[in-house]
Amino acid sequence: MKIKDSIIILFITAAVSIIGNFVGYKVNILEALPGMLILVLLATIGIVLAKVIPVKIPQVAYIVTIASILTIPGVPGAETITQYTSKVNFLALATPILAYAGIYTGKNIEDLKKTGWRIVVLGLFVMTGTYVSSAIVAHLVLKFMGQI
Amino acid sequence: MKNIKLHIIVLLIVCISEFIGVKSFKVGPGSIVFLPMLFAMVIAIFLTPKFLNIVKEKEMDDAGSLISITLMLLMAKYGTNIGPTLPKILAASPALILQEIGNLGPPILAIPLGVFIGLKREVIGGGHSISREPNVALVAEKYGLDSEEGRGVLGVYVVGTVLGAIFIGLLSSFLAAYTPLHPYALAMSTGVGSASMMTAGIGSLIAMFPDMADMITAFGAASNVFTGLDGLYMSIWIALPMSEWLYKKCYRMKYGEYPPNPKKTEEK
Repeated sequence: MKIKDSIIILFITAAVSIIGNFVGYKVNILEALPGMLILVLLATIGIVLAKVIPVKIPQVAYIVTIASILTIPGVPGAETITQYTSKVNFLALATPILAYAGIYTGKNIEDLKKTGWRIVVLGLFVMTGTYVSSAIVAHLVLKFMGQI
Repeated sequence: MKNIKLHIIVLLIVCISEFIGVKSFKVGPGSIVFLPMLFAMVIAIFLTPKFLNIVKEKEMDDAGSLISITLMLLMAKYGTNIGPTLPKILAASPALILQEIGNLGPPILAIPLGVFIGLKREVIGGGHSISREPNVALVAEKYGLDSEEGRGVLGVYVVGTVLGAIFIGLLSSFLAAYTPLHPYALAMSTGVGSASMMTAGIGSLIAMFPDMADMITAFGAASNVFTGLDGLYMSIWIALPMSEWLYKKCYRMKYGEYPPNPKKTEEK
């Protein structure tokens, strides 16, 4: 996808999210605007870097890394970024994604029927197994290190 | 991208879902949390041709091509959660790294179960890991997607795509309510699968423990990044070989003989 197209989609998602942020979490749209623009900017930087740098690292990795580094306490501007982006509720950003994902899922429902119940059982079991076993390990390690 | 109808529909879905808001239901000693994002997904699925037929093929295709970009803002937001909590994340990094061992839980549990309910070599593909994109790519490369292993991994991938977010969201809320597992440990585990699974899981946890919101988000996101880094290698070096081995053992236990050579098991 072209960078320009990606950026347009970022702005559309941002617009939908900021309205959801208002409806669901009562944050004034103007108040959330700077934070949202910062998120769009961070995402854009990540997308551009992934295009420009020849090493094959996914865009997501750049975005998370840059956003993390810029918000480490002590980094110039970190406080400001954190303060503005905190106006954008994390759940408000997630809702549009799952709306798009839900629409796309329509395509997969037929596949799901075809795969049969055994695979569905296996799938649910795999998810539960992965989740629960890593939660148990994490819990024990955190406990052992005295962090919880 | 220029599909205005799609974006308007999404906007309406989002408004309705956010208007409903976070709903938690007391069930026994704990409560199960339903988030706007889950409503959004369910509403969206009901608009597709299989049900109400309001969104059409074109919208579904366009939505599919957009999802990876719509995730980016959320990823940026995750980053801004990781930064301020970085010292604590680093302190917890042993837990974050070791919990990846949890990725080996599924083969140990899912392969015997899969063989027991009558699956054949599909369980190797579908049961060796949580079957997200990297695992699908790996199985595709090693066995081919039209093989039994390939059908298994694709099947579990589809199950995860369709039901994953809803399932992990509810599972998180259930485990937080009914087990002694700490919310931080659960937060780390939400990262084992896709970003939307993590988001749904984290959302449920935050709704239940609002005062731990920052750390929960940061742990979930950090774990998801780790999984992205090591998940593939875990599959290549440990989970897949282990799955092959377990499959042979379990098959023998159920059918009294070793499975036939994979090349000859094309009857299904």
